[in-house]
Amino acid sequence: MERVMIMRKQEAELFQDKKVGFFIYLGVEAVMFAVLFATYMIFTPAGSGPYPSDVFQAEMVLLSSLFLLSSSVTLYVAEKGIQARKGKKTLLSLGLTLGLAIVFLGLESYEFYTFVQEGYGLSTSVFLSSFYVLVGLHAAHVTFGIGWMIVLFIHYVRPNVSYSLYKEKQTIFSYYWHFVDCIWVFIILIVYLPYLV
Amino acid sequence: MKLSVFGYELVIPTDIIAAWVSVILIGIVAGYIIIKKRKLGVVWDYMKTTNHRKIGILYLLFGIIYFFRAGVDALLIRTQLAVPNNDFWVFQGEKYNELFTTHGTLMIFFVAMPLLLGLMNIAVPLQIGAKDLAFPFLNSLGFWLFFAGSLFFNIAFFLNLTPEVGWTGYAPLSRAEFTPGAGTEFYVFGLQISGLGTIFTALNLIVTIIRHRAPGMSYTRMPLFAWASLITSFLILIAFTVLAIALYLLMFDRLFGTGFFSGDEGDPVFWQHLFWIFGHPEVYILALPAFGIFSDIISTFSKKRIFGYGTMVASIVLIGFLGFMVWVHHMFTVGLGPVVNTFFAITTMAIAIPTGIKVFNWLFTMRGGVIHFTTPMLFALGFIPSFVIGGVTGVMLSLSAADFQFHDTHFVVAHFHYVIIASTILGVFAGLYYWYPKITGYMLDEKLGKWHFWTFLIGYHITFFPMHITGLEGMPRRVYTYSEADGIFILNAISTVGAFLMGISMLFVIWNVYKTHKKKKKVSGDPWDGRTLEWTVSSPAPEHTFEPMPVIHSMDAYWYAKVKNKPLPATTNVRVKPLERDSIQPFCIAMSLFIVSTGLTFRWYWLAILGGVMLFALLILRSITDEREDFYGKSDDHA
Repeated sequence: MERVMIMRKQEAELFQDKKVGFFIYLGVEAVMFAVLFATYMIFTPAGSGPYPSDVFQAEMVLLSSLFLLSSSVTLYVAEKGIQARKGKKTLLSLGLTLGLAIVFLGLESYEFYTFVQEGYGLSTSVFLSSFYVLVGLHAAHVTFGIGWMIVLFIHYVRPNVSYSLYKEKQTIFSYYWHFVDCIWVFIILIVYLPYLV
Repeated sequence: MKLSVFGYELVIPTDIIAAWVSVILIGIVAGYIIIKKRKLGVVWDYMKTTNHRKIGILYLLFGIIYFFRAGVDALLIRTQLAVPNNDFWVFQGEKYNELFTTHGTLMIFFVAMPLLLGLMNIAVPLQIGAKDLAFPFLNSLGFWLFFAGSLFFNIAFFLNLTPEVGWTGYAPLSRAEFTPGAGTEFYVFGLQISGLGTIFTALNLIVTIIRHRAPGMSYTRMPLFAWASLITSFLILIAFTVLAIALYLLMFDRLFGTGFFSGDEGDPVFWQHLFWIFGHPEVYILALPAFGIFSDIISTFSKKRIFGYGTMVASIVLIGFLGFMVWVHHMFTVGLGPVVNTFFAITTMAIAIPTGIKVFNWLFTMRGGVIHFTTPMLFALGFIPSFVIGGVTGVMLSLSAADFQFHDTHFVVAHFHYVIIASTILGVFAGLYYWYPKITGYMLDEKLGKWHFWTFLIGYHITFFPMHITGLEGMPRRVYTYSEADGIFILNAISTVGAFLMGISMLFVIWNVYKTHKKKKKVSGDPWDGRTLEWTVSSPAPEHTFEPMPVIHSMDAYWYAKVKNKPLPATTNVRVKPLERDSIQPFCIAMSLFIVSTGLTFRWYWLAILGGVMLFALLILRSITDEREDFYGKSDDHA
C-alpha cells in the first residue's frame, strides 16, 4: 500500500512537470498566433484585390464552427469518462471528437477549395495571404490533433500503457484541443466577423 | 577558378575551394584520431545522450567550432578593410556581403546562443540542486535541432550559396525578386530549425528552475546565474517565437508568391518591426546570462556575498521587461515620426538605469572583499569598464535625432561589438574557465588563461575603439572599401591589427586546452573555494548528482557551511528525478527537419514530403517508446 502511495506521488510530480511545460508551450503557441492575428489586422482589407466581405461566406463559417466547437464539448465528456474510469464513455466521446474534427477539416478544405476556384488564392492579395497563413496554420493544428487522437486510441489498447499514464496523455491532449478551439473563436471574432456583419 | 566537369564549365570561387580543402583535411584528421583512439563509441554515446552535462558539452563544442569559423570571417573582413581601395582575395561586392552576413548570423545564432545555452545546461541544474533538466529527451532534441539548423546554414557556403542579406535579413532585399537563388533559404530554414531548438531548451530550463530546486532553495536564495537563466528563458520564448513567425512569413514570400514584405502590396517595414521585436530582446538574451555568470564569479572571488541581491534580481527582471519596449531604436531613421521616436528613445535610456544598478552592485561586491585575481575574475574585471563604454555609446545612440548621424556607420558597429563582446564573449570565457573543472574534471592552466585574457582584451579595444571615430567620420557599415581621401586609413589599419591580436589570443585557448588534457591532472570538487551548490558535487559532475540531496537554509549555503566547518544538511526524502533514457531519436527528428528544409530550399517537394513523413513517423515512434511506460508499470493497481 505504501508503495502505491509513493508511486502516486511520483506520478503526480512528473505529471505536474509535464503540465507546467505544456502550458508554457501553449503560451509559445499563443504568441505565434498573436503575431499572425496582428499580421492579418495590418493587411486587411488590402489596398487592392477582393474585399473580405466578397470572399467570406457566413454559412460556411457557422457550419464549421458548429462542428469544431462542439468537439470541445465531446472531449470534455471524454475527460469526465476517464476520471470516472468509464471506458465506453471515454472511447465513444473521444471517437465523436475525432469525427467532428475530421468533418471540420473537410469543411475547411472545401472552403479553401471554393475560394481558390473563385480566384481567391494564396498570392491573390496580401489580405488573402495573411488569411491563409493564419487559418491554414490553425487547420494544420487541427490535422495534428487528429493524428494525436488516433495515436491516443492506439495507446488505449496497448498493454504497456497503464491507466494512469493513459489518463495523463489524454489530459495533455485535451489542453491542446481546447487551446486550438479557443484560437478558432479568435479567428471567428477577428478574421470573419468584422466582414460578415 | 574554372573547372570543366563532364563537359560543363563550372566557375568556383577560390575561397570555396579553400573551404572544401580545409574541411576535408580537418575531417580526415578528426576521423583518423577518433578511429585510432577507438572513440567511435564516445561519439555514439554523445549522439544518444540525454544528460545535461553532456548536452552542455556538445553545445559548447559546436559553439566554439563556429566561433572559430565566424572569427576567420571577421579576420577576412578586417583584411579587406585594412587599406584603402583594397582588393583582397575575392572579398569585394557580393562576396563581402556574404562575408558579413555569415559573420553576423553565425556569431549571434550559432556561437553566442549555444555557448550560453551550454553553460546554462551544465551549471543551472547543479546550482539549484536539480538532478537533470526536467525533460531530458526534449533537452537532447533542443540541441540536435540547433545542430541541424547550424549545419544547414553552414552548408550553404560550401555550395557557393551563402546568403547575402545581412544577419538582419531586411526585406525587400531578402525577397525572391532581389535575392533569387537558394542562398536566403539557407538563412530562413537554418534559423527556423535552430530557433525551434532554442525555444524547447528555454521551456525546459523554466520548468527545471520552477519545479526542480533543492529543498529550501527558494527564489530568494537562488544563485544569480540561475535567476538570469530563468528570465532569459522567458525572453527566448517570446522573442524567438516572433522570429519564427517572421521567418514563416518570409518563407511564404520567397517560396509561394505572397507579398507580406513587398514594396507594392505588403510592407518591408513590417519585417523590420518583427525582426527587431525579436532582435532587441535577443541582445538581452545574450547579455543577461553573462551578467549572471559575472555576478557569481565576482562574488566567489571577492569572497563576499553579492551586494544588493534583491536589486540585482529586480534589475534583471526590469531589463528583461524593458527589453521588449525599445525595438524601434533600431529603426529611428525609418520615418515613424517624432512621437514614436521620442517614446522609444526614452524607454531605451531607461534601460541604462537597471544596468547601472548592476554595475554599481558588482563594484560594491568587490569593495572590502578579499579579491583573488584568477582568470575568470580577470574576465569579470575586464568586462565592467568595457561594458560601460558600450553602454555609454548606447545612450548616445538612443538620442533619436543624433542617431540620424550615427545610423549604419561604424559607430554602431563599435557600439554593439563593445556591448556583446564585453558581456557575452567575456562572460562565456569567464564561465568556461570557471566551470571547466565541473565540465571535464581538469583545471585550465591559469598562466595561459591570463595570456589569453590580456591579449584578447587589448586586441578587442584596439579593434573596436577606432571604429567609433571612423564611424563619426562617416564610414558606413557593410561597405567593402573606402578611399584614401576619406582620411580613415590609419584607424582602419589599427583595427585590423587589433583583430589579428584577438585571433592570436584564441591560439592560447587551443594550446591551453591541449596542455590541460595532456597533463590529465584531476581536481577536487571545489577547486575555486566556491559558494554555490555545483561545487558540492565531484568534478566532473557525475551523471547521478545530489544523492543525498542537500537542504538549503540560506543564500550561498555551501559557503556558510564551510565557514562553520559543518557539512550541509541533507535528506533522501526528495521528489522523483526526471526520467531519462538514452535515445538516438532526437538526432533523427532533427535530421528529418533538415531533410524537409533541403527539399523546400531547392523546391524538391518530394524530398520535403519524405522528410515530413519521416518526422511524423518518428514522433509516433517516440510516443510508443515513452520512457514513462516502464516507470509507470503495466498494471493498474496504483491508479
